[in-house]
Amino acid sequence: MNTKSRDMQSGADLAVSRRAFLKSSGGLVVAFSLFGPPASADTAQQSVAPPPADKLYAWLAVHPDNTATLFTGKVETGTGVQTALAQIAVEELDFPFDRLRVVMGTTSKTVDQGPSYGSMTVRYAGPQIRHAAAAGRQALLDLAAKHFGVHSNQLVAKEGTISVLGSPGRKITYGKLVDGKRLNIEIGASGERFGMKVAPKALLKDPSTYTVVGKPIARKDIPDKIMARFTYVQDVRVEGMLHGRVVRPYGVEATLLSVDETGLKNIPGFVQVVRRDNFLGVVAETEWAAIQAAAKLGSVLKPSGPDAGQAKWSNWNGLPQVDRIWETVRKTAEGRNESAVSQGSAAMAFAYAGRTLKATYKTPFQMHGSIGPSCAVADVKGDRATLWSGTQMPHETRRDMAKLLGIPLDGIEVRWFEASGAYGRNGLEHVVADAAIMSQAVGRPVRVQWMRWDEHGWEPKEPPIVQDLQGALDDAGHVSAWQHHMWIPTTGDTHLIAAALIGKPDVTGHTGQGRPAVTYAYDFPNADVACHGEGRVGLLTAWLRSPAQFETTFAMESFIDELAAATKQDPLAFRLAHLKDPRAIAVLKAAAQKYGWESRPAGVKSDPNGKPAHGRGIAWVNRDDSLVATIADVTVDPASGRIKVGRVVVAHDCGLVINPDGLKNQIEGNIIQSISRTLHEEVTFDTAHVTSRDWQGYPILRFEEIPDRIDIVLVNNTPEYLSTGAGEPSTCPTAAVIGNAVFDAIGVRLRQTPFRPDRVKAAMS
Amino acid sequence: MSQQITLHVNGKDHGIEVEPDSMLLYALRDNLSLRGPKFGCGLSECGACTVLMDGKAVHSCITPVSAVGAAKVVTLEGLGTAEHPHPLQTAFIEEQAAQCGYCINGMIMHAASLLEQNPHPSRDNIKTALNGNLCRCGTHMRIVRAVERAAGRVNG
Repeated sequence: MNTKSRDMQSGADLAVSRRAFLKSSGGLVVAFSLFGPPASADTAQQSVAPPPADKLYAWLAVHPDNTATLFTGKVETGTGVQTALAQIAVEELDFPFDRLRVVMGTTSKTVDQGPSYGSMTVRYAGPQIRHAAAAGRQALLDLAAKHFGVHSNQLVAKEGTISVLGSPGRKITYGKLVDGKRLNIEIGASGERFGMKVAPKALLKDPSTYTVVGKPIARKDIPDKIMARFTYVQDVRVEGMLHGRVVRPYGVEATLLSVDETGLKNIPGFVQVVRRDNFLGVVAETEWAAIQAAAKLGSVLKPSGPDAGQAKWSNWNGLPQVDRIWETVRKTAEGRNESAVSQGSAAMAFAYAGRTLKATYKTPFQMHGSIGPSCAVADVKGDRATLWSGTQMPHETRRDMAKLLGIPLDGIEVRWFEASGAYGRNGLEHVVADAAIMSQAVGRPVRVQWMRWDEHGWEPKEPPIVQDLQGALDDAGHVSAWQHHMWIPTTGDTHLIAAALIGKPDVTGHTGQGRPAVTYAYDFPNADVACHGEGRVGLLTAWLRSPAQFETTFAMESFIDELAAATKQDPLAFRLAHLKDPRAIAVLKAAAQKYGWESRPAGVKSDPNGKPAHGRGIAWVNRDDSLVATIADVTVDPASGRIKVGRVVVAHDCGLVINPDGLKNQIEGNIIQSISRTLHEEVTFDTAHVTSRDWQGYPILRFEEIPDRIDIVLVNNTPEYLSTGAGEPSTCPTAAVIGNAVFDAIGVRLRQTPFRPDRVKAAMS
Repeated sequence: MSQQITLHVNGKDHGIEVEPDSMLLYALRDNLSLRGPKFGCGLSECGACTVLMDGKAVHSCITPVSAVGAAKVVTLEGLGTAEHPHPLQTAFIEEQAAQCGYCINGMIMHAASLLEQNPHPSRDNIKTALNGNLCRCGTHMRIVRAVERAAGRVNG
């Protein structure tokens, strides 16, 4: 087998070839590859603590060849945020974009700026980096002032070079000025993570002078990804490394009764079984041997029972019934009632209402569904642990691993590498624990990658949600009362699977509680919006792109459409008549203008006659101050029940845009993924375990089903508007848009996702 | 038992020691240190592991090493170089046709196979050819545009 460390290899490549780096202007360069020791176990004497946030070197390094490195605790998850943060930095630093590397996530090299989730990176880490880079520019000007013996106001910084005003010959590069030294300069910092203030006194540029922020610059990571030069966490190879695979219980909480190791030693390269309480794994010299050994113990796509493999599990059947999951959710949340909006007296208004409509909306468990199963490498020896991980939260993972492994925090380093896209927290934190437990057991570095059925079966899911809506209409066709009650299990349970399996379920993590994931912005005289929140119901859950708000927007924006249709009003005009928020009105109008919206009620022309019928739908959302309105055309084939999305128009307001092409890439991704979630996706399970364990059981959207086109309009893209998030918001309206368009096409209202053909046909009959 | 096997990969013969019934994907990734082909499902359901065998796109995750024989295997690494990228690679970069990029190996390898067989594919031909490849980020619109762009370039 090839024992050369991928880690060392990439470091060496980069160290000898700055030219190649500049030429490709791409590639995620990882901190230790450039400056740290190689990735073998000889890190024992190195400090692995994160750098102090109040020092400039924690954020910035300038190298003698006039390249520079930005360090950030935020990580790339495929959204292009590495490039966006680099744009923010070079804007303030007056430095060439192509000469700036970005080091992300590695805990010994970066400040903890909070996890990379919730579409919050540009919004919260952006200003931290902007201030640090501005402080860097000032520090360089101060150095140059000394160098030239002039006041810094006589200097001008441009593209990595500082020159003396009026003396064209007197100039020096940043690299020469810094001369290989660490930027050990106090810049000030207070607070922590998302709320951290960095370099508060730094003088920032006037946004109206921006030349890099706002430009559609090509992403730094894409060339290496296209040329097979990129190192994903799945590609990390460490010297002396073994391959591990997990063998999960047959039933989610089953107990491991016995392990028959017969035949395992005959597998060439097999090393050993790792068993701790209910945790079971195998390690081997090769990936193939690990897969074969795990299969013998019971890790297969379709296990036929708790004792079908050589590992025997108790017969656990504690999961709720899949087809009654919403009743279970309601019952579990009985008694809890968190009010999100209480205006006027909805109860009174309903009692005296002329016309009242009611509807219930249901959405299932859904999964993140990364194309690359979760993977990590761990090297745990004594009181030191080095963990190669693609987690969205390396600094938290470091703290979690200290607790799980019983190792002091000072001995733990997480070296971050990008993973396959996750769209929320999937198995990436959990697989680190799996690898660490196996490495601790065998005393060698172990790489663990989950099999497809481990990922589908065990990644934490988005919970099922049920929502009751009620609306009252007055004689003029206005909404006089609105009630929206939602039953939401937690979208975030951070307990580690492996911790529970080794009998320490509460060593780290906690179970959250479902919250009213809705931004209510309609202007109804009487309103009652409330959440009946609960903890875990059935399967482990963790935030999936727009947690719970994808579902609440489906219900809210579908039901608004029901009210509009009931009074034969145009769905856009009906929304506008009940809105005051100027930004909400602006995105709706922008989308309508781009689409060419003509005013008419929905569903008036629906006379399918068995032929494919066409319809249009509209919906909007405010997710954490980013506003999105979406309009789509659909075709419904009544014979098959199939829905095809044609043209999609999106108006998107996330304030000042850092990189418009990166943003459009994100919006297109949100739209396609949310069409997939709307039309196809539902996790199935029996009382023992998840049964949708591969892409057959959990299909996602394919090329033949993609929209004909996606038109995007950016709204309020100016410096007066704060840059808010874009990783998630445009997911939210899609299910309502499609449901509303289906109603327009065939006059049938769909109130349960996914809109699979059989469900469409059932709704029609 | 492990056997000494010769694989012809990216224009060179490589002698490796592997289980004959083990899958080509692991030989490429673990024995030859290639990173183009990815493990996605191991079930021939997603296309992330795609390589070309004698010009045809195959799923290396279900192709036993023993079945490769003398076939010429090409991975994403062998398709083009930094100096001479394949037209598809140039087009994918120009269209910024990646988000996380994990599936892109399969997209490019399948598209390369398509363009070999059909240098003038329609948009529908492209969608059909890539229909077995899954992308979770939702980069489909850009991927289709990139293949169209490359086809235009290949065809002059």
